[in-house]
Amino acid sequence: MKEELSKIEELSKEYENIDISDIKMLMQKFFTKLRNRLENYVGDYPTFIEPVYLEDNVKIGDDVLIGPNVYIGANSEIQDYVEISNTIIFENVKVGQNFKLENCIVAKNSSFNFNNLNMKNSVLFGVAESKDELKTKDF
Amino acid sequence: MSEKNQKTVSRIKEVESTNLAPDNIRNEVIETKKAVEKDNDLLAERIHQNFKEHNVKSFDIVGAIGAGKTALLETISQRLTTKYRVLVICGDITTRVDADRIEKHNAETIQINTGRECALNAYHIHQIIKNKDLNKYDIVFIENVGNLICPSDFILGTDQRIIIVSITEGEWVVEKHPMLFKMSDIAVINKIDLKERLGTNVDKMISDAKKINPNIKVITTSAKTGENVEKLMSLMGF
Ligand SMILES: Nc1nc2c(ncn2[C@@H]2O[C@H](COP(=O)(O)OP(=O)(O)OP(=O)(O)O)[C@@H](O)[C@H]2O)c(=O)[nH]1
Ligand SMILES: [Mg+2]
Repeated sequence: MKEELSKIEELSKEYENIDISDIKMLMQKFFTKLRNRLENYVGDYPTFIEPVYLEDNVKIGDDVLIGPNVYIGANSEIQDYVEISNTIIFENVKVGQNFKLENCIVAKNSSFNFNNLNMKNSVLFGVAESKDELKTKDF
Repeated sequence: MSEKNQKTVSRIKEVESTNLAPDNIRNEVIETKKAVEKDNDLLAERIHQNFKEHNVKSFDIVGAIGAGKTALLETISQRLTTKYRVLVICGDITTRVDADRIEKHNAETIQINTGRECALNAYHIHQIIKNKDLNKYDIVFIENVGNLICPSDFILGTDQRIIIVSITEGEWVVEKHPMLFKMSDIAVINKIDLKERLGTNVDKMISDAKKINPNIKVITTSAKTGENVEKLMSLMGF
C-alpha cells in the first residue's frame, strides 16, 4: 500500500510534469490494498465508509462524510460539510468547508482557504484563497 | 447558490423537526426536507434496480439496539456462505465490532460508521455499491444502525426489510414503534430462549405486529439456540 502511495506522491509532486495515465492505474491498485485506520483523528464522530486510512492528527469538522477509498496524510484538516470518496490527500493539507472531492489527489502542503467546491477526477495543488487561484489537472 | 443560502441549507439538514425551524426559513426547511426524501427514494430505486440486474438478493435488517441483529446475521451467514457469496454492510455509530463478528462466519463485510446519524440512507449504500462488482455476490445484507425510529425515514432499495426486536425490550416495544413494522416484510421476535425467565407476553407482541401490518410475517427466534433460524431463512426465500 505504501509503495503505491509514494509513487503517486512522486508523480503528483510537480504541477508541470504529472503523468496522468500512470496515476490512474496506481490509484486503482492503491485502493484495492487500502486498509482501515481510524485511530488518532481529531473530531466528533464523522461518517466513515470503509476503507478509510487516516494518518496521525487529521482534523475533521462536523457533518463530514469520508469514504469509501480515502487516504488522508498526517496533520491535514478537513472542514465542515465536506464529502470525500476515492481520493488521496497527502500530508499537511487544508480543505475548506463544503468541498466535494471524488476521485481526486491533493498534493502535499496544499491549502484551500475558501468554501464550496465540487471536483472529480483531478489533481489539486498549491495554496489558493479562492476557486480562481486553484491549480488543478484533470484526469 | 449564495454562500449564505448554502449555510442555511446545511443548517436545515441538522434541523430534525420542522418545529425547530425559525419562522423566516420555515418554507425553505420544508422544501429542503421534501427534496432530501425524494432524492433518497430515487437513489433507493436505482440501488434496487442494480441489485436485481445482478441477481443479488438484498435485505435491510433494522431493529432495536441489542435485539440480536448481528447475532442472527452471524448464524445466517454461517449457514448461507457454504452455498452463496454473501456481502454484509454493517451500520453503526462507530467501531467495527459488528463487521468483525460477522466476518468470522465467512461473509465479506463493509462497516459504515454513521457518526452522529441514527440510520443508514440510500446514499451510503450507493457509495458502496458503485465501487463494487455486484457480479461477485449472491446476497447482500445491510444491518442498519440499532434504532427503532430513524430508519423509517430512509428506504435503502432492498428486496425486503426485516425488523428485529427481542423479548427483553418488553411486550410493548412493538406497539410503541409502529412505523417500522408498517414498512417491513418480516418481523422477528428474538431471544425467545429467555421467555420462561422473563415472562414476556410474546403473543401480544405477535398480535400487535399483525394489527399494525396485516401483511407482515412474524416469527420468534433464538440466535443463541438456533430455534427457528432455518424457518426465518425460508421466509426470506432460502
Ligand atoms: N439469550 C439470547 N441472547 C441473544 C440472542 N440474540 C442475541 N443475543 C445477545 O444479545 C446481545 C446483543 O446482540 P447483538 O447481536 O449484538 O445485537 P444487535 O441488534 O446487533 O445490536 P446493535 O448492533 O448494537 O444494535 C449479545 O450479547 C448477544 O449475544 C438470543 O436469541 N438469545
Ligand atoms: Mg449489531
